[in-house]
Amino acid sequence: MKLQQQESAAEQQQGGEEQLPEDLLHHFEQILHDDPLINEVGFLHPTQFYSLDCPQDGDSASQPPEFHHTRCFWCRDHKLAISAEILPKLYHAARDAYCNARDAPLSPTHLLRHTKALLILCPDLLTAWNSRKMVLSAEYDFTKLKDELQLCALILSYSPKNESTWSHRRWVIKQVAEQHQDMLELIGNESILVKEIAEKSKMNYRAWRHRCWLIPYMTRKQVLDELKESTRWSELHVADNCCFHYRRSLLLALLDNRLRNGEDSLSWESEICLLWKEELRWDEMLIRRYQGRESLWNHRRFLSHWWIQHLLTVEENWPSTRSQMDMFVIQEIQLLSECLHDPVDEFGESRVQAELSALYILWITKQVPAVKGKLEERLHSVSMRKLKDVLAGACRPEKRFWMNLLGLADQSK
Amino acid sequence: MADEAELAADQHVRYIVTVEKVTSAATPPFPPRVPSTPPSAFQRPLLSSAQKKDSFESLVMEHIRLNGAYWGLTTLDLLHKLHAVDAAEVVDWIMSCYHPESGGFGGNVGHDPHVLYTLSAVQVLCLFDRLYVLDVDKVADYVAGLQNKDGSFSGDIWGEVDTRFSYIALCTLSLLHRLHKIDVQKAVDFVVSCKNLDGGFGAMPGGESHAGQIFCCVGALAITGSLHHIDRDLLGWWLCERQCKDGGLNGRPEKLADVRFTLL
Repeated sequence: MKLQQQESAAEQQQGGEEQLPEDLLHHFEQILHDDPLINEVGFLHPTQFYSLDCPQDGDSASQPPEFHHTRCFWCRDHKLAISAEILPKLYHAARDAYCNARDAPLSPTHLLRHTKALLILCPDLLTAWNSRKMVLSAEYDFTKLKDELQLCALILSYSPKNESTWSHRRWVIKQVAEQHQDMLELIGNESILVKEIAEKSKMNYRAWRHRCWLIPYMTRKQVLDELKESTRWSELHVADNCCFHYRRSLLLALLDNRLRNGEDSLSWESEICLLWKEELRWDEMLIRRYQGRESLWNHRRFLSHWWIQHLLTVEENWPSTRSQMDMFVIQEIQLLSECLHDPVDEFGESRVQAELSALYILWITKQVPAVKGKLEERLHSVSMRKLKDVLAGACRPEKRFWMNLLGLADQSK
Repeated sequence: MADEAELAADQHVRYIVTVEKVTSAATPPFPPRVPSTPPSAFQRPLLSSAQKKDSFESLVMEHIRLNGAYWGLTTLDLLHKLHAVDAAEVVDWIMSCYHPESGGFGGNVGHDPHVLYTLSAVQVLCLFDRLYVLDVDKVADYVAGLQNKDGSFSGDIWGEVDTRFSYIALCTLSLLHRLHKIDVQKAVDFVVSCKNLDGGFGAMPGGESHAGQIFCCVGALAITGSLHHIDRDLLGWWLCERQCKDGGLNGRPEKLADVRFTLL
């Protein structure tokens, strides 16, 4: 028997039940140390574990050093699997080792080693994260902080909603920001990470919250780039309200004077207006393509709200521009009419589309009373119907009930 | 019929008390730094439940044991069965999670303090009418000390800000009758700054509206007598739009219904 196989056989004989917890922990920490680029962790049932491939007989000489295969751990190509049957034992060992290291004041290295093992098993342990913060706070070290981001990314790969991990990540970024380091690349990488996580974990509130949290650290160019680059992703995820909220946050950031870079207000405003108009056009295109998507209509509520306010301001200063408002009203009522008359489909999406389009118009009339008259007038001229009739016809019974409750619909019906 | 209802409630009480004793009977995970009183009966391991307490699922929840105690005990209280547990035992265990140097509570014995657990501790003590065991000003100072210049609250000394922490802080201080220790107006201003165009509230200014965050923000404004800042119609509309075709309520647009949002 080759040496590799002999060793494997011996370990297999030992098995998880017979190995001491401390040995398991030591082995685990050794694997983590030997391969700092581990980017995936899985807790596998023992039966799944046995199906992971073993090294071939002839390959033992060329085996990469970071390959481990026992009954308890499997690690190859930066992927780590841990047998579920040893988890309680391993957790106990990691926890006990952490407690001992915490109480011994001169061992930050051990503390980092043990907390890393512990947090991979249980990322919710705030206390362990705090210990890492204590060690990292002692002295600013950009390399160590980057390692921290690596650890967070690893944990988020299998626990993408973990609050403590996202929070720790933000703490790390704040440490870097406080040292006035160049944040451009860091923030760019953060955004990419969230995008990757969002792809695997849809509508992940915590991930997108993190991405929005990054915006104040972005330069104006980054904000514009983010808006541009997230367009395609958003088109492929039209039911993900988070990504549209992110776009709204980016647009709002552009309105913020902080990003003006000393430009004169006219060119600044015209750039914003162009962006806004384009966003409205794009949103309309998606609404027509994907029926009944609440996220798209919510996005339109936001866009139209600002756009109308903007047009009202322009109208006030330059009354001859009133036609822009009329054009907008005609456009929106046109969209409504089309949505109300979309052919019925087997999934009921055209029904939902009709309802959402009617509620959209109602929302605008409530939030921007100045345009209510024009919208209702236009609606009447194209359809001979009042808004309340449209709502009554398009909305589900339960929607009509709460509309009445809120005094939004006409009580006389 | 009444007997059947009583029986169901009793069964549920037995379930809660057993779960609480099993899950809380594990030896303290992190030996407390400060020598504490000898472990109480509540902490003594139940040998017969060794299996349950050692399950991985139970172990990875030990950081929120104090929250679990609050949820379980509140349920007992709602079922009028709070007497099923020994108040002294519970209070002893709660206090073993206390950090006298900071005034905060950790999620379990030896865990770092955080407002999340401090509120649960105060709530449990209120349930048993035992607030007097606390150094009330010390606990209140811990919470008040977490208020930031912009009126927001951090969860702990490490600085993470979230509107949940605003609600938690205000709730804690209100229960302790110590709201005067903070800048209430600034706290309100911060919560209001998290209001979105759709009438909802997020975790931070500009954060996506979320039913859970809305619950916290509305709660915070209610405690401080500031509900007039809410656009009731608009928020009411947003909340009503959370009702799905199946009748359940979701937490955000396009998500599935979840019973926790019915509660919120």
